Amino acid sequence: MSNRIYAGLSRRTLLGSAAYLGLAMAAGRAFSQAFGDGGGLPPADGSLRWLDSGGQKGVFIKEYLTKYGEARGIEVVYDGLPWKEIASVLPLGIRNGSAPDTFNLPIGMEPSVAISEGWLQPIDDLIPDFDNWKKAYPNGSFVEGINVFGGKTYGFPFSTERRFNNALLFNQDMMNEAGYDHINADRALTFDEMREAARKITENSGGRSFGFIIGGAQEPRWGNTATMLAQRGGATVGSSGLLEGMDLKTGEFAFDHDAYVAGVELLLAMNSDRSVFPGSLTIIAPQAREFITQGAAGMIIQGPWNIPIWEEKTPNFNFGVSPGPAPDEASLDNPVWVMQLPNSTNMMWLNAKANNAQYAGDFFHWLGSLEGQLAYANVASCADPAIFPETIKLAQLSERAVTMLQMAEKRVRIAPNPFVRNPELSKVAAAYVDPTPNLAQAVQGLFAGQLTDVKATLKKASDARNKALDEAIAKAKSDGANVSRDDFAFAAWEETRDFGPEDYAKQ
Amino acid sequence: MAVNHEVAASVKLTRTDRLAARIWKSRLDYAFLIPGLLVFGAFIFWPMIASFYYSALNWTGFGENAEFVGLANYRELLQDEFFYAAFRRSFAFMLATVPLQMILGLILAIVLNNKLLRLSTLFRAMIFLPVVSPVAVIAIVMVLMLSPFNGPINGFLLDAHLVDRAVDFLGSPQIALWTLAGIFVWKWTGITLIYWLAALQTVPAELYEAAKLDDVKTRQVIWHIVLPMIAPFAVVIGLISAIAALNVFPLIQATTQGGPFFSTEVMEVYIFRTAFAPASGQFPRLGYASAAGVLFGLSIMVLTIFQAIAVRRTRRKEAEDV
Repeated sequence: MSNRIYAGLSRRTLLGSAAYLGLAMAAGRAFSQAFGDGGGLPPADGSLRWLDSGGQKGVFIKEYLTKYGEARGIEVVYDGLPWKEIASVLPLGIRNGSAPDTFNLPIGMEPSVAISEGWLQPIDDLIPDFDNWKKAYPNGSFVEGINVFGGKTYGFPFSTERRFNNALLFNQDMMNEAGYDHINADRALTFDEMREAARKITENSGGRSFGFIIGGAQEPRWGNTATMLAQRGGATVGSSGLLEGMDLKTGEFAFDHDAYVAGVELLLAMNSDRSVFPGSLTIIAPQAREFITQGAAGMIIQGPWNIPIWEEKTPNFNFGVSPGPAPDEASLDNPVWVMQLPNSTNMMWLNAKANNAQYAGDFFHWLGSLEGQLAYANVASCADPAIFPETIKLAQLSERAVTMLQMAEKRVRIAPNPFVRNPELSKVAAAYVDPTPNLAQAVQGLFAGQLTDVKATLKKASDARNKALDEAIAKAKSDGANVSRDDFAFAAWEETRDFGPEDYAKQ
Repeated sequence: MAVNHEVAASVKLTRTDRLAARIWKSRLDYAFLIPGLLVFGAFIFWPMIASFYYSALNWTGFGENAEFVGLANYRELLQDEFFYAAFRRSFAFMLATVPLQMILGLILAIVLNNKLLRLSTLFRAMIFLPVVSPVAVIAIVMVLMLSPFNGPINGFLLDAHLVDRAVDFLGSPQIALWTLAGIFVWKWTGITLIYWLAALQTVPAELYEAAKLDDVKTRQVIWHIVLPMIAPFAVVIGLISAIAALNVFPLIQATTQGGPFFSTEVMEVYIFRTAFAPASGQFPRLGYASAAGVLFGLSIMVLTIFQAIAVRRTRRKEAEDV
């Protein structure tokens, strides 16, 4: 593994870098000084408890939260859990009053709903010098409807959403042997090539390895993967939460879009070729990640967070990265979309009944400063890139991490977000009851063979979701919300470029 | 008439006095019952009553925005195909495991009840070992053992050329539930064995001796003496085993979590999913889950009533035979 400074440093940047690095080193040497004296903090009420989805950011948080605890004289407890467990542990914790002080929200849960349910409290009054602190963030980091609700800030952003959440990561040796050594950040696989590569990897291994693996017990993986494949096929659909699979030009869910169908059929074709790791339906994503390094499978569709983990734990593992596959050569340059600049899944939210809310705010204050962001970027790498762009440029990153970040810059675009256009849509989200099976479950059911007829199954899931959304809109309206289905449609959206704050005014 | 009323009142008063006196006399005994009653009330009785109440609410379980919806949750449940499927799976699981567990337990009990069999105590302990092992540990071990990639069971099947491709025991929707049934039977046969051994102790030793003197074959002893004498126990053991088989949440949650695609989702997992762990994009529905729990609880109650009737009839028949 080779380390290098992020490409393209000018003399001025270099001098700036030295200053920033000096700041970071100072922060490392005298951590308690970096936090200030912590004056005004009340006596600790038990431990400061933090829950997130782990991964590389978890490595950072665990280390620096511990240092923070030592500096402030408060015991800290860090828990990093898979999303599936967060989805069950957190609601139970909220219910019985044992939830941590600060946490990631379960995937798919709209923050507005969590607020209306009384889970969260704003952080405005808990972060020292809040207004100036907020101003130091890049534009678009605090957005009404994303992490600001009713003018109050609830979500603490520290990483950016602009990353390739569903890239293709592969065993380079296996890919080379299969004849696909030309696949890299600039050249993705087509669907046919991926199927063929998976088949050849399986064949070349004599049955010891399989072409493709997925943590299929983790239902959202199926939805995320299918949606990425659909986006690469040109479906202008939302990527997460309530907006996953919604055609943002029409405001209608479009799971039965040809691009979705083609993507799901690719997964089924690899399965019928016996190129998919057996047992994929019973393993979760972290297990799938481990199996890849053990040589059990050649390819996985996953996020950039794998890179630092693999590079640290299995430094001899030779792997490469590329954008997710696209249906054909003509669509290889198609972008994928995320819903906003600040990373919403990593965003930290403050428990409404937190025992140590001010300590959490104090730590947020440091992590949301340049020193904190630089310290973060050096550990989190490309997994969850820091939201301050200057820190990413200054951080020491591996070659693969840089590749992944550049890939995101090149191919990941910010999509329009209906919740930003009309924050009252949060009332729709609160009233929305997702039908079963949803997209992820439907794709898992098709893969497992429990469901048949891809197009019909996806259409049924799409129709059910459209109906559920209509019902939620009607309920929100009856409760006095000023919302309509039109709020979800951005007909004039130019999908090849970022949809910025100025674009909302034009729509 | 007036006299009669006075007498009746006097009798009633006397009876009440007697009851009060009896309670007062046994006050210490009743005092000892209080902790148990409190625990029963808090952890059994109250949750049951609360479930009925919650089932009439549209409520996530968080916050105070519960909305009273009457029987709407029940109406929706009765149109929910996943509810019916989970219901069917629960009873299919029970029907698959209980007979197997009982027959296997009985055979083992008869074999191990033979005092001439050396090491019978060791075998009993070995068979009972899974019973005392935590479900979570067994689940983890089984997931590893049954892994289609590097699990030893698939390794054996492939090496012995019994299959040409690894079997995805827990990942194939067609066989995952039955794999779990097999694990369940393996884990709990030990307890059924103990029940049957206790039942076998009720067969008088004289009957075995008489049969031996008459040179009756072992098969005939079992068929004509042992089985008829322990048959009444079968009803009770069957009831206990059936209820255990319907309470299979820990095993399934620790292995498949109801997947893949709901193929192992039994009622308890369905209730848990809707109450606490909905899929991405969905929100917990405690009221809806409570309604499912009430319907499931009632169905188990019906089963229990049928079995209670069966026990009563068996006892009556026994009394008549005597």
